Amino acid sequence: MEVEISRRRFLQGSVALTVVGGTMAGTTALFSEEEKATSASPRVPKTVTTKTGTGKAEEIPFLCGMCVNKCAGFARVENGIITKLDPNPYFPKSRNMLCPRGNAGIQTAYDPDRLKYPMVRIGKRGSGKYKRVSWEEAYDAILNGTKLFKGLKQILDEEKDNRSTIGYCNGEGLSKEGFETLVGQKLGSPNYVDEVSICLETAGGGFFATLGVYPEIDFEHSDYLIISGANRAEAIITPDTMDMFKRTKGRGIKTVCIDPRFTNTAAKADKWLPVNPGTDLAFVLALTWVVFNENLQNEAFMKKYGVGYEEYKQHILSHKYTPEWAEPICGIKAEDIYTIAREFMNAEAPVYYPGRRSIFSPNDYQLRRAMAIFQALSGNIDKKGGYIYGNPIMLPPEYVNAPIYAQAKPRFDTEGIAFPTLKSGSWIVFRNMILEGKNPYPVRVMFMRKHNPMMSVPNTAKTRKFLEKMDLNVMIDILPSDTAMFADVILPEASYLERTSPVKSYGFLEPAIVQRKAAIKPLYETKEPEVIYKELAEKLAKPLFEISKKYDKDLQEQIKLRGEKKVFKEDGWNLADAWEKPVHEKNKEIVEKAFGPKAWEILDEKGVYYPHMEEYHKQLNPNEFQYYPKNRRFYSTMGDKKRVICKYDHLATRGIDPMPTWHDEWKFSVPEGKFRVITGRHAQFTQSGTTNNAMLRDLIPTNYLWINKGVAKKMGIEFGDMVEIKSEVGKGRLMAYPTEKIAPNQVFMLHGFGSESKGLELAYGNGANDAAILKDDIEPVFGAAVMHSTNVEIRKV
Amino acid sequence: MARYGMALDYKNCINCKACEVACKEENGVLLGADKHRIWVGVNEIEGVWPNLSISSSSFLPSQCQQCDNAPCEEVCPTHATYYDENGVVRVDSDKCILCSYCMNACPYDARYVDDRTVTVDKCTFCSDTRLARGLTTTACQNTCPTKVRTFGDLDDPESEISILLKTRDHFSLKANLGTEPKLFYLT
Repeated sequence: MEVEISRRRFLQGSVALTVVGGTMAGTTALFSEEEKATSASPRVPKTVTTKTGTGKAEEIPFLCGMCVNKCAGFARVENGIITKLDPNPYFPKSRNMLCPRGNAGIQTAYDPDRLKYPMVRIGKRGSGKYKRVSWEEAYDAILNGTKLFKGLKQILDEEKDNRSTIGYCNGEGLSKEGFETLVGQKLGSPNYVDEVSICLETAGGGFFATLGVYPEIDFEHSDYLIISGANRAEAIITPDTMDMFKRTKGRGIKTVCIDPRFTNTAAKADKWLPVNPGTDLAFVLALTWVVFNENLQNEAFMKKYGVGYEEYKQHILSHKYTPEWAEPICGIKAEDIYTIAREFMNAEAPVYYPGRRSIFSPNDYQLRRAMAIFQALSGNIDKKGGYIYGNPIMLPPEYVNAPIYAQAKPRFDTEGIAFPTLKSGSWIVFRNMILEGKNPYPVRVMFMRKHNPMMSVPNTAKTRKFLEKMDLNVMIDILPSDTAMFADVILPEASYLERTSPVKSYGFLEPAIVQRKAAIKPLYETKEPEVIYKELAEKLAKPLFEISKKYDKDLQEQIKLRGEKKVFKEDGWNLADAWEKPVHEKNKEIVEKAFGPKAWEILDEKGVYYPHMEEYHKQLNPNEFQYYPKNRRFYSTMGDKKRVICKYDHLATRGIDPMPTWHDEWKFSVPEGKFRVITGRHAQFTQSGTTNNAMLRDLIPTNYLWINKGVAKKMGIEFGDMVEIKSEVGKGRLMAYPTEKIAPNQVFMLHGFGSESKGLELAYGNGANDAAILKDDIEPVFGAAVMHSTNVEIRKV
Repeated sequence: MARYGMALDYKNCINCKACEVACKEENGVLLGADKHRIWVGVNEIEGVWPNLSISSSSFLPSQCQQCDNAPCEEVCPTHATYYDENGVVRVDSDKCILCSYCMNACPYDARYVDDRTVTVDKCTFCSDTRLARGLTTTACQNTCPTKVRTFGDLDDPESEISILLKTRDHFSLKANLGTEPKLFYLT
C-alpha cells in the first residue's frame, strides 16, 4: 500500500501559478516537468519528514528565521539533506530550545512551492502569469523593462534622476540591512517602509522616551507580573517565554494577565482580567492613582531619577484617575485594581511586562509611557528581578560609501503624524498619501523583499491599488506570496537554512554575538540575498550613473574637477562596492578585529560567542545551562544615569500629551449587532510566511473565528460552520469556533491566513486575511497601524 | 542497559507543540492529526465568560507511558510488542499483524497506525535515533521551550530523574490500573 503523504504529488494537475515560456510552454503547474526532476534530486528529501540516521552527519550552527527571535540551533545534515533542527545550548537568548516553528523550519526550506528561479511577469498584474528567466535576464528586466512594464532606467530618466521615485519595503531579518544599503543608500531612495510601523513602534518608542531603554526582564528573580495584551505562551519570545512559565502557577511569579481573550498565557496566570480592547491605559492610570493616593511608591527612587515627577503625581491625582473611574471604561473591577496596585508595590521584584505585541489602540504610545512610569514607581529598574538595561556587546560599525543624489527629494509621508520617523516611515500614511495623490512627486517603483504587505498592512484593498499603481515592482522572497503576485520581476532568495548571514549581537543581561551559517547550499537557482544585492548593484551601477550624469549638477561639477573614473569609484557610485567580500569572510574580519581569532573560531564552530564563554558556559543538568555566572550578569549597569521621564515637554510641541492622559474618545464601544475584531497569534504560526508550512498547517489547519458561545448559539452558529466576517473595508470567510474565552461583543481571528496566491498550495484560500478586514487607522505619534479599532458584522453562510 | 523513564514538570507546559514537531522531524513520523507519538492533552475551560475557572484549563503533555507492566505487551499475539534492553516498550514492525489488540488495550491511547508500514507505531524514547547515536536526551525533552521533560535512567540513583523523583512529589496516570508507568508527572 502506497500511502506516504507527499505534497509534491498533489501539485500534479493542480491549478497553481502559471509559468509559461522557454521549455515550459503549455505547463499549467507551478513547477515544470524539469523542476519536478530537480525536486527529485538528491538535494531535496523525498518525504515530508525524514527519520534521522545513525551514520555520519554534519551539525551546522544556524539562527532560526521562522520569526524575529533568532533562536540558535544546529542543523543535522545527512547526505546533503537537513534531517533535523536541534536547539543550540550555547546561546543565552534561546536557552537550548526551538519552538514548534523552529522545529518545522525544514518544511520551509523544502517547501515544494518555493520560488525556484527568477521570473518575469508576462500576464496582467496579479494574474500569476510569469516566465522563467535567467538571473541576467531578470536583472535586465529591472533595468530596461519589458513590453509590459517600464524599467528603472527609463523611469529615472523620466523623473530626472529623482531617486525618491523609488519606494522600498523590507521584512525583519539578518539580511535586512543589506537591502536598505542597496535601495536606500546606494540607489538613493528615502522612501522606506517596513514592519516597524505595523508592529510595535509605539512600544519601543514609548519606553525609550520614558526610560531610555526597551528593557529586558529578569524573570528568574521577579516575583510579581502584570502582563497585558502580550501573549507570551503563544507569541513566543525568547528568553521571556521560557523563563516566565517555569515560575508561574504558584512557583515564584504571581501573574496577573490582562487580555480581552482567555489565551494560553491567561491559562498560566493566577488571575485573568478581560479588559475592554484598547483601554489598558485607563487601567494603568488607575493603578498609578492608587499608588499615589496611598503613598505606596518608592519616593526616594523617583525623587532621584524622575523628571517632572511631582507634576505627574499632581496630574494623576487631580484628574481623579480612581479605580472607580476606570472600572466602567476598562471593564476591570475597582477592587481588583486596588488589590493589584497594592500587591505590585508590596512585591519584592514586581514587573509590568513591557511588550511585546503590535499596536492595538491609538493611545498605545501613552500606554507604554504610563506602564514604564508605573514600573519605575516600584523602583524595580536596572536591578535583579526587574527591568534590565544590561550591557549589549557592540560590534564595530560598518560604513557604506553612499553617493549623494542632488535630484532626490525628501520623504513626504508625514500627514497626521506628530513625530515622523525618518528611517522606516509609516506604511499606511506612505501608501494612502500616494493613493490620494498627496505625494509631491511621483512614486513609481517598489523594491520589496521578504515582506507581504497584502497580508500585513491593514486594508488590503488599498495595498492592492497601491501596488497596481506602480510602474515597476520587484520582489525578492522565498515563496510566491500574495504580494509577490504583484511583482513584475521576482528574484528567488535562499531560505535561512541555505545562507550565511551577517554576524549579529543579542541580549542585554547575558549578551552574545551569533552567526547563522548555511546548512546547505542554496536550493534550485536561488541565491543568498547579499549575492543578489551585489549582482543587482553591478548591473545597475553604470547605466544609472549615466542618468545621474545627465541631471545631477553636483555630479557634473565633481566629474569636471576630478574626472569620471575617480568620482565613480571614490564617491560610492560603484554600487556594488558594499558587497566586496562574501558574508562569511566579512564576518570573520569583523569578529577577529573586535574579539580576536579565537573568538572567531568559537563563533564559527558553535554559532555563538561571548567573552569568557569557555570559562562561563556549563551544563547544570539535562535541561539547564549556565551562560554567565550570576555575578557576571549585567543586572545593574546604569548607576545614576537612569532617568524616568514622567513629563516629556518635547511631546507637547507637536500636540502630544507630555504626560499620559486619558481621552474619552478612546472609550470602547461596539454598535448593537456588531463585533470588535481582535487579532493575534498561536504558537504554531508566525505570520503569512509560515501558513504554507506543511508541518505547522498540520497542527493548526486554519484560522477559526473565535465567537462567544452564547452569542453563537443565538445566531445558530456551531463549531466548523462557515461564517462571513465583514467590515467597512473588506470581508472574508472562515470557520467558527464558539468559545467562552471571548466576550459577547468581540471576535478573534488568527493573523496570517487567507492567502489569495495560487502559488501557495496549502495557504491558498485557507481561512480569512485579517489585513483585508482591518481599517487602516493610525496612532498619532508615529503614524503606526492600529490593529484593534475595527467593528465587523458576522453571518453564517 | 538502563531503565529509562521520564519526569514531566507538566505545569511548565504552554501547549506550544514544539515536542510534537521535534518528535515528528526526528523520527520521520507521518503528518496527520491522528499520527502522533506525543501530544498535549487540553481541557476545555469551565465557566461562562467572564467567569472562567483558570484551574480547569490545563495542558497535559503525554505519550506512551512506557509501562513496566504494559497491557499492550500482554495482549500482543505475535510478540511484536516487547521490552527492549532499556525497558522501553517497542514494536517490531516485522512481527506486527495489525490486529490492533494493543491499541485497544493501551489505557493511554498512545498507539496509532503508521500508514507506510501498516503496523502499529508509538513513542520509542527516540531509541533508534537519538539514543542509538549515543545521545542521552529525547527530541521532545531537548527542544521544549519551558523544559517540561527530564529523561534518564531510573536505575541510576545519581541521575537527574532519580533525584527529581526523590525530591519532588509526583503522580502517574491511571495508577489504579497497575500498569506501572515510567512517566512521572511532577506536582
